[in-house]
Amino acid sequence: MNILSLTLAYLRARALNTALTVVTFATGVTLIVVVLLINEQLQNQFSRNLKGIDLVVGSKGSPLQLIMSSVFHLDIPSGTIPFKEIDKLRANPLVGKVIPLALGDNFQGFRIVGTTQGYAGLYQARLRGAGRFWTKGMEVVLGAEMASQTGLKTGDVFSGSHGLSRGGSVHAEIPYRVVGILEPSGTVLDRLALTAFESVWQIHGHDAGHVENSKNQLQGGRKHDTDHSNGGEDHAENENRVITSLLISYSSPVAAVILPNEINNSTSLLAASPSYEVARLNRFMGAGTDIMQSIAWFLVALAGVSIFAGLYSAMDERRYDLALMRSFGAAPLKLVLLLVVESLFIAFFGLAGGVVVGHGLVEVIGTTVSMARNLHVSGLVMFAGEAWLVVASLVIGGLAAMIPAIRVYRIDIYRTLVQR
Amino acid sequence: MFEVEKLLSGYDGKIVAKLPRLELAKGEHCLLLGASGSGKTTLLCTLAGYLTPIDGAVRMNGNEISGLRGSRADRFRSLHMGFVFQTLHMVNALSVLDNLLLVRYSAGLPQERERAEALLEMLGLADKRHEKPLALSQGQQQRVAIARAVINCPEIILGDEPTSALDDRSCEKVMGLLLDVTASVGASLIVATHDNRITGYFSRQIVLGDDQ
Repeated sequence: MNILSLTLAYLRARALNTALTVVTFATGVTLIVVVLLINEQLQNQFSRNLKGIDLVVGSKGSPLQLIMSSVFHLDIPSGTIPFKEIDKLRANPLVGKVIPLALGDNFQGFRIVGTTQGYAGLYQARLRGAGRFWTKGMEVVLGAEMASQTGLKTGDVFSGSHGLSRGGSVHAEIPYRVVGILEPSGTVLDRLALTAFESVWQIHGHDAGHVENSKNQLQGGRKHDTDHSNGGEDHAENENRVITSLLISYSSPVAAVILPNEINNSTSLLAASPSYEVARLNRFMGAGTDIMQSIAWFLVALAGVSIFAGLYSAMDERRYDLALMRSFGAAPLKLVLLLVVESLFIAFFGLAGGVVVGHGLVEVIGTTVSMARNLHVSGLVMFAGEAWLVVASLVIGGLAAMIPAIRVYRIDIYRTLVQR
Repeated sequence: MFEVEKLLSGYDGKIVAKLPRLELAKGEHCLLLGASGSGKTTLLCTLAGYLTPIDGAVRMNGNEISGLRGSRADRFRSLHMGFVFQTLHMVNALSVLDNLLLVRYSAGLPQERERAEALLEMLGLADKRHEKPLALSQGQQQRVAIARAVINCPEIILGDEPTSALDDRSCEKVMGLLLDVTASVGASLIVATHDNRITGYFSRQIVLGDDQ
């Protein structure tokens, strides 16, 4: 016999009470784990997607909408901007890299993004196996999730639909050809199809004649005519070409102060800082997360109280046993330890159960919500915040034993065992 | 070995029983006889150190038990005395064997499982050692209570009405066992009772409520 076997014997003797308390405690822990995991992962994902993008330039409208549509690909863009703006921005010494984005079509709900290879480079995305990047229009590279969801493979041909969500008219006459598939990067790229931005123009008839190597064009401004060439009208075509937005990195920290104001005040374009907009969004969403977290902690505290209530009533039933152990010479501290260990046992099993169920629940939410909302959330990761959960749970468990433990010191053996 | 002097016993400042003098040599037994309400349980609890005497002294091997308080009294009692409560107070979460080991564990003594099993054997409870006390008859529970009182090899065993709830046959058997196990550890036995069936087992008898 030792403190563990004794504790287990008592927990077994009131198995139903024990189970109920464990379940209550586990429920609180589960809620906290769910809130914590989803919150952390969304934050991480947000910051991963923001990496390297200092400023987004698009048409006038809502800055948040611009960020949500061009960085996270969750919202629709508010309009288009002339392609020639890219040259003006390039000329600005405060601008580092510029990546154009042209949205317009989708395949089974996955957006087809006209851009440059720099967009894949932004997230250090690597090609899988024998794939390659596009060298001419209508060649696409698929994100990992899009590839696995649609079943498309390198060499396959598919037709895009108009619009950014399912159900638009199909551009059957000009199909895309898959030339490569990206490794998963945990970023927005996973669920996009990337192509030369000229492809988007080609499909929408803005520039049916100029489909070429985007890299060449951006680097040199040269133009290689393709099969459908109608060469001489370059300049006029340029005037009419539009894109959705430009992702910009600063060339120096000073740019952060000057460039957004410069663009917003002196051009017809809108410049929005992703980190600022996300911080603003977090302020709104953060309140919701805080409330959820408070409710979860409240539940854990409630579970702590129920451990306390459970122990208190068990202690009431057990005052004869405890008095008896005192009469057999047990020091009060020994009995206090017994109660604390018992309480910790309940807290530990509640904690373990809550963590397991919480992670399972997030994994289930992650697989379903990821389909519907394009958010990557996994239950199979751990976060540092969970270490605090362990500490907090055990502290609550220990505290719950304290008031019954104080009663141990006050036991009057004669009144308890003899007088009754 | 055991010595009582001018003992006034009671609680809340109320004197319930008196014991002017009692001296027991090692292995010597004594019966405290009295009607209900004569204060024999109160007196027995004072002898065991559960209650502090209102006046007088209880000494054992030169130690003044009546001077000990709280956990020090518990500690001394656990090492030198065994007590059989009138209400048996079985620990129902534990098996019969563990009820015995609980006494050793509480006192911080090594748990000699073989000794506990031998004791249960001696008391005819060997086959019940893994049962919970609730599965036992009143007489069997009484024997478990006796085993718990004797397992620490005390020098004195105090019994509060150990036989009053039993029928004649069980009464005889329990008294026989109580004397046997007491003798097996060489202890003295003090029994407080109103049960006249057991007066024959004791040569020394004190009748409470009388002016002795």
